[in-house]
Amino acid sequence: MKARILQFLTLVGILIAGCAQETVNIDVMHDEGKPVIALDYRDFDRAASRLVQSLLASGALKKEGGGRSIVAKGRIVNDTMQRIDTDQLMSKIEIEILRSGQAVMTRAVGTDADKLIREGRELRDDEEFDQSTIPERGTLQAFDFSIKGKIFQRNIRYDKNRQQVEYYFQLMLSNSVTGLTYWQDEVFVGKRGSNKSVAW
Amino acid sequence: MKMLTLILAGLIVLAYGCYQPHDSRIHVRDEIRPDTLGGNIVTRPVARAFSDLIGQGIVITNALLTTNDGGLRELHVSGFNQSYRTKRFRYRVEWLDESGLLVETKTSVWLSMSAMGNSPFSFKAVAPRPEAVNFRMDTRKWE
Repeated sequence: MKARILQFLTLVGILIAGCAQETVNIDVMHDEGKPVIALDYRDFDRAASRLVQSLLASGALKKEGGGRSIVAKGRIVNDTMQRIDTDQLMSKIEIEILRSGQAVMTRAVGTDADKLIREGRELRDDEEFDQSTIPERGTLQAFDFSIKGKIFQRNIRYDKNRQQVEYYFQLMLSNSVTGLTYWQDEVFVGKRGSNKSVAW
Repeated sequence: MKMLTLILAGLIVLAYGCYQPHDSRIHVRDEIRPDTLGGNIVTRPVARAFSDLIGQGIVITNALLTTNDGGLRELHVSGFNQSYRTKRFRYRVEWLDESGLLVETKTSVWLSMSAMGNSPFSFKAVAPRPEAVNFRMDTRKWE
């Protein structure tokens, strides 16, 4: 009897192991995976692509008289129900702004300011440091534009069994001298799915 | 019965005769515009079934490269959905430099497009850098 039970349990174990979902790497170039109700990397890729193309096409970054504009990163508000690192969007946009040759990003100021830029300047009277390697006063450059944005979410009951989740990606570029907005755009991502799916 | 068929056929021909073609830049869809010989309550289901049968889909009618004020190439793609159904698809534009080598960019991702049945559509893609002078575009079904 014991042997029978053991055999049965072994068989069940083998069957369960056979049913286990194996882990696979995502083919990010041609991902044919089903959409999910929450925001996934594909949504960020598409939103960033559309926003970057819109920004570059607008010519707003172009500096009169040549050279590259300086852009400071402002606040990107995450007003969704998900824990999002907004750099998932902004990093792609910053990379493309830099690659475009139209502008450079500054880390001297802004929400993503690099503390070390300031700390390096605090070493001016420190005898431990070769003073010729310390940045001189007045070498930091002010920014021409600031970029800020918002990602927000709306959940709507679509019917008895389905919900509609709307995501809005908004970005705007403002001139630091005049305060005028030179470019602004919005990308919408809408999804419908089961009420049982959780969008956070 | 024969009489009824004749009357119906006569009405269709008359209705078609009343149809005034409008400005080609304005697209007035079936079921809103006056019926035509190929698009009325009798022939429409047949035309749709035939369209499905022969597998009509989208065709690209024009792909134009221009340069914007910032010195970046812009690709303007125009097409037409020959099918009676809305066609949803994804497209990806990859940019190439003068040597035909791929220009790396985060903007080359699968973007979505939707074209209503028997309707024109168009979209635009912007090159990421001035050295991107040519392109290649791929399409796939919207999952």
